[in-house]
Amino acid sequence: MNIKTTMLSMAAVAGVAMGTSAAAMDCETITLGAAISLTGKYATNGVHAQNGYEFAITKIKENGGIMVDDQCYNFNVIYYDDESKGDRGATLAERLIQQDGVQYMLGPYSSGLTKAIAPVTEKYQIPMVEAEGASRSLFNQGYKYLFAVLSTSEQYLASAITLAAEKAEAQGRAASDVTVAIAVENDPFSLDIRAGVMEDAERYGMKIVVDEKLPRDLSDMTSILTKVKLVKPDVLVVSGHSKGAATAVRQIGEQGVKVPMIAITHCEAADVVGNFGENAEDFLCSTQWAETLTYEDPIFGSAANYEQEFKANYTEYAEKTVPYQTAQASAAVYVFKDAFERAGTLDKDAVRDAIAETDLKTFYGDIKFSEAGNNIAKPMVLRQIQDGKYNVVAPSAFASHEVNWPRN
Amino acid sequence: MSKNWILYIALLAITVAAPFLFPSYTAFLATLWLFIVVAQAWDMTGGQMGYNSLGNIFFYGTGMYAGAVFAIGLYYNVGEWTDASRSEIFSFTAGQYYTGMVVGIIGAGLFCGLCALIIGPLFFGLRGPYFAIGTLGLAIAAGEIVSNIEWLGGGQGISMPHSPLHPDFEKVLIYFLFAGLGVVLFIFCKWFYSTRFGAAINAIRDDEEKAEAMGIHTLRYKTITWAISAVFVGAAGAVSAFQLIHFEPLETAYQTINLGIFMVVCVLLGGKGTLWGPVIGAILFHVFKEVTWNYFLGGQWVALGLLIVIIVVFFQDGLMGYLKHRRPEWFGIKVESKDKEAAA
Repeated sequence: MNIKTTMLSMAAVAGVAMGTSAAAMDCETITLGAAISLTGKYATNGVHAQNGYEFAITKIKENGGIMVDDQCYNFNVIYYDDESKGDRGATLAERLIQQDGVQYMLGPYSSGLTKAIAPVTEKYQIPMVEAEGASRSLFNQGYKYLFAVLSTSEQYLASAITLAAEKAEAQGRAASDVTVAIAVENDPFSLDIRAGVMEDAERYGMKIVVDEKLPRDLSDMTSILTKVKLVKPDVLVVSGHSKGAATAVRQIGEQGVKVPMIAITHCEAADVVGNFGENAEDFLCSTQWAETLTYEDPIFGSAANYEQEFKANYTEYAEKTVPYQTAQASAAVYVFKDAFERAGTLDKDAVRDAIAETDLKTFYGDIKFSEAGNNIAKPMVLRQIQDGKYNVVAPSAFASHEVNWPRN
Repeated sequence: MSKNWILYIALLAITVAAPFLFPSYTAFLATLWLFIVVAQAWDMTGGQMGYNSLGNIFFYGTGMYAGAVFAIGLYYNVGEWTDASRSEIFSFTAGQYYTGMVVGIIGAGLFCGLCALIIGPLFFGLRGPYFAIGTLGLAIAAGEIVSNIEWLGGGQGISMPHSPLHPDFEKVLIYFLFAGLGVVLFIFCKWFYSTRFGAAINAIRDDEEKAEAMGIHTLRYKTITWAISAVFVGAAGAVSAFQLIHFEPLETAYQTINLGIFMVVCVLLGGKGTLWGPVIGAILFHVFKEVTWNYFLGGQWVALGLLIVIIVVFFQDGLMGYLKHRRPEWFGIKVESKDKEAAA
C-alpha cells in the first residue's frame, strides 16, 4: 500500500515535471463498445459519429481523463462494422457484451440500428448512451438502459412548418391554405419525421398534397419531383439521411423544381454546399446543434471552439460544416464521463442510475433525460443555406438571420 | 444399421450438450441450426424435386411477421403496438410471452404452409430459371409490400415483446427451438424421402413429363412438398423474430441477398438432393462465413463470392456428390475394382 502510494506520488511528481500528457499515462482504461455503420448505406454518418466518439475520447484524455474514486481512467472503444444492417448490429452487440465483456455501450448510427441493438443491451442490462437514434419509437418500449442525447425526430422540421404558417399569414393567407409535400425514406427515423410534420400540419389545418416514400437505395426521386412540380406545394419536406439529402438537392436543382420552402434533414452530413453549391441555396436544414449557439462546457469549450478544434484534428472536415452527428457523438461520450464520475464506481447499474440523473450543460446543449431516456433539455434549430453559409433562422429565440422566402 | 443408430444418438447427444459445453457460442450455434433448417427445407424442392426456388426467404420473412402478429395480436392491437408515436408502454407477463411464442411459432409455420398451398399452383407452371426468378420476384415484392403496411410498422419494422427469462437462459431456449426444428425436419426428411411420395418427387426431378405420364399428379405433389418446406421455414422465421426482438422488412425479414441466397449456397456446398448434404453444407458455410466476417472484415463479400464461384465451377455436386464419386464404398455402393476387371 505504502509502496503503491509512494509510486503514485512519484508518478504524479513526474507527471507535473513532464507536463500534463505524462499524467495521462497512469490512467487505466474503461472499455466501451459500439457497433457502427462503417460500410453500407449509413457509412457517411457512421464515420461522422465514430470521429465524434474518438475526438471526445482524446479531449477527455487531454483534460485529465475520468476520475472515478480517485483513480484516473481513459475511454477506449471496441468498434465493429454493422454494415448498416439491423440483424448484424444485434449480433455484434451480443458479441461485444458476451465475448468482449463490454459493460457500457455507445450507440450505433440511425434509429433503425438503435432499434435493433437496444433490445440486446436492455436484455443484458448494459447502459447505452446513444447519439444517433431519434425516432420516438425507441422511447415507448419501456427501456431502462437506453439514453439518447439528441432531440426526437418529430421536432426536426416542426419549426419549418411554423415558419410556413407565419409566412402565409404575413401574406394575408390563412395557414390552413398552405399545402405540404412529403417525401421520406421508409425507415424509422424518416417515418417519424413524416409523422411529426403531419401532426404539425394538422394543427394548422394544412393540406398534405404529396406523401411519397423514397426508393430504398435513395438514389433517385425524379418521379416524386415530377409530381411535386405539377402539384406546386408551398412546402416540400425531404428526409432520407445523407444519401437522401444529396439526392434531393441534386435532383431538385437538375429538374428546376420551384417550391417556396424546401426543408430537409442531414444537409451538413451530406455536405450539400460543398457538393452541389448553388443548388443548395435557401434550403432549410434541421439541425440538432449549430456551432454558432452559445453553449459551452469545461472539456470542449464553446460550440464554436468545438468546431474549430475538431477541424484541426480531422482535416478532412476543414472545408465543410462540422455535422451535428459528430457533435452529439462527442456529447454521448461526455455523458458517460460525467456519469462515471458521479457514480464513483464502475458498477454498470450504478453508472446507469447516474446517467438517468444526468443534468449537464455541454457545448452541444443541455442534457437531461426523461423517464423514457430521451433528452428533453435541448431544442432543435433550423438553419438556412444562405450564400453557402448555414445561418440559424428558427426558432426565433436562436435565430441570427432572417429567412429567405420564397425560395427561387 | 446398428452403427448408424450409434452415430445418430451420438449426434443428438452433442446437439443437446453443445450449448452447455460452449456457452459463449450458443448464439452462433443457434444460427447454425437456422441455416440447417432453411437449407434442408430448400433441398426438399431444390434438390429432391428439381425446383430451384430463390424465393424461400419469402416464407422466412412471412414467418417472422406472422409470428409477431400472432404473439402480439393475442393480447394487443397490432396497429397500436407498432404506432411510433404511442406513449403508452405495453407489457407482457411471462405467461403471455410463452403462450405468444408457442402460438406464434406454430401459427407462423401453418400460415406459411397455407401461403405455399395458395401460391404454389401459380408458380409451378414455371420451370427452371423462370421458376427461380419468379419466386425471387415474389420475395422482393413481398418485402416492398410489407414495408408499406403501416399496421405492421412499415419500414420501421416491428419489435417483439421482451423475454422474461434471463438472457443466458433465453439464448439456450432459442437454441433448442432452432435445434428442435432442425432435428424434427431431419427425421421427417429421412422418412419422407423413403416413401412413395418421396419417390414421386424424385421422379418429377428426373423427368417431369414421364412422371406425369405415369399418372403422378405432379402439381399436387409439388405444391404439397413446397408447403411442407414452407412450414419449417416459416416456423424458423418466427423463432428468429423472437431471437432478434426487433426486425424490419427489407434488410432483415425479406433479406433476399443474404439468407435467401445463403440457403441455396449451403445446399450447393454440401450436395443437392442428399439427406446430409444440406446439413454439412450449412455447417461448412456458417463456419466459413463467421471466420471471414470476423477475420477478413472488408474482404468478406469477396471471399464469399469466390467460394460460390469455386463451388459452382469445380464442385457442382457439392461435397457429398464429390465424396460419392471418389469414395463410393462409403455410401454402400460397390464398385468392381479395375484389377478384377483386368483379370477377367
